[in-house]
Amino acid sequence: MSDLIPKIDAPKPAAVRRRRRPTAGSLLIDLVLLVIGVVMVAPLVWLVVQSFTQERSAFSIPPGWVPKPFTTDNFEGISGLIPFGRMALNSLQVAVISTAGSMIVSILAAYAFSRLQFRGRDSIFVVMLAALMVPVQMTVIPVFILMRHLGLIDHLASLWLPALINVFAIFFFRQYFNTIPRDLDEAATIDGAGHLWILFRLLVPLSGPAIAAMTILAFEASWNNYFGPLIFLSSPENMTLPIGLVTLQNGQGGSSVIVFAAITAVVVPVLLLFLLFQRAFVASIATAGIRG
Amino acid sequence: MTAALSRRTAAAGSSRRSPATRQRWVAYAFLSPAALLFLVFIAGPFIAAIVLSFYSWDMLTPARFNGVSNFTEMFSDSLLYKALGNTFIFAFASVITHIGGGLLLALGVNRVMNRALSYFVRTTLFFPFVISWAAVALLWKYVLDPTFGIVTYYLGEVGITAPDWFTDPTWALPSIIAIDFWHTIGFTFVIMLAGLQTVPKDLVEAARIDGAGPWQIFWNVTVPLMSPTIFFAGVVTFIGAFQIFDPVQIITPNGGPDNSTITIVMYLWQKGFQAFQVGYASAVALLVFAVMMVATLFQLWLSRKWVHTQ
Repeated sequence: MSDLIPKIDAPKPAAVRRRRRPTAGSLLIDLVLLVIGVVMVAPLVWLVVQSFTQERSAFSIPPGWVPKPFTTDNFEGISGLIPFGRMALNSLQVAVISTAGSMIVSILAAYAFSRLQFRGRDSIFVVMLAALMVPVQMTVIPVFILMRHLGLIDHLASLWLPALINVFAIFFFRQYFNTIPRDLDEAATIDGAGHLWILFRLLVPLSGPAIAAMTILAFEASWNNYFGPLIFLSSPENMTLPIGLVTLQNGQGGSSVIVFAAITAVVVPVLLLFLLFQRAFVASIATAGIRG
Repeated sequence: MTAALSRRTAAAGSSRRSPATRQRWVAYAFLSPAALLFLVFIAGPFIAAIVLSFYSWDMLTPARFNGVSNFTEMFSDSLLYKALGNTFIFAFASVITHIGGGLLLALGVNRVMNRALSYFVRTTLFFPFVISWAAVALLWKYVLDPTFGIVTYYLGEVGITAPDWFTDPTWALPSIIAIDFWHTIGFTFVIMLAGLQTVPKDLVEAARIDGAGPWQIFWNVTVPLMSPTIFFAGVVTFIGAFQIFDPVQIITPNGGPDNSTITIVMYLWQKGFQAFQVGYASAVALLVFAVMMVATLFQLWLSRKWVHTQ
């Protein structure tokens, strides 16, 4: 699996590249792909442009593709309508706790499933795997009732607690650990190493790509979660960003440019992060796809 | 699973208990956080949802046992049929457009081409996937706006009068299908691209030397070799699409004109969290589970007929 990652955008060997001259057909496909690329990115460019444009000239017809006149007022207007900074911190808090926690829980469980002997191991594993088929919508009502009993409604814990169990990550890590030769841990055992040492000093460092992939996917899922906060949270100061954006749009006297500025403020940092970690990001999807 | 059988530790026993017993306790310790969370947040709620589906409950007054009447009510609930129908249309449209589009785009990008262009196309295709549905849905509400949206304007420039996308019952669901395509195609595209890399180059080359045209190579070499990837992407896309909720709820909070966009999960949410018919909503949830189960088993059965394994 790990050798798949560099392959995704490895350059083609020069010999292959030179063999065929660009034909009219191939140029046409290039052109079509270029147009598709431009069309894909156009709405995002439009978004950023409008969010930096003064309200009276925004959303002009024909559409403007440069912010004229340029302003940052729209961004300042956001915090007058929703506690944007607070919501961003809430989103971050939930994403960090749930991602870090679920990775630790999953790595420990995967080690047990991959390396240890105990009664009922295979049946427990199969039961957990079957849970991948249970949609979150089916469990959400009982979980809601449980959270209400625990007094956790409108608390961020109601979002990160259920996210600590990540069955897909357990399955994924177990598969990955199984590809690491057992001779390594036997040698370490003979040298007197305990299970925790073997797991965190041996298997985890050797599983870098798998852990990176799952970390990215888990963080992404939490950061973008809309269904969870819609159900469990209610007050604006406990809310996370996705709901914050939507309440902004449902008119609280905010103008469209402020909505656009808020979307830009949420989207642009994510896009920059994506550009920075593009390889890891794309590889996480690709490996999950090949492995799944 | 048998490959996972681990050997007993050969460690010189410093503890008085036998190594096997010790290992068992280590295993239970390592497994306990996951097992506890699993019982509390997945297995328990799953069973509770099944039990609740036989009750009538508004979360305020005590629950009342209802027998199978929630299920019989479902059979005559026309809005449920509507939601189920919309969801199937959405899911099938997603699977067809994502698999077809993702495969074509991956084939196009995988060709020998300018590196800068390849980077640009890969990045722009994948960009939307990292953005949350909330941001995507709001953005597209504006992009498709009938007065100042860019789509309406540019369609007008080429002589097409755009419909009022979200208020026209014929166009509301197709619009959401299109937005979902924009948002999610990067995911399928990347999986397809990774799958294409597993197709041996020399096999394609050999077919070409034997005189096969691009079309024959595509159908007789690429598609069979990629069938496991296509199958995986198909299952994942269907399961994801069947649970679509975010864009529908944000763009058309009331289910769209004439309930043209209401999906099964949105209906479940309305019943459970707006109308507080918890028992009925649980029955609907059970239906979602059953449909997904049947669909996955059907796809597994189907895959035996055409998925090529080495």
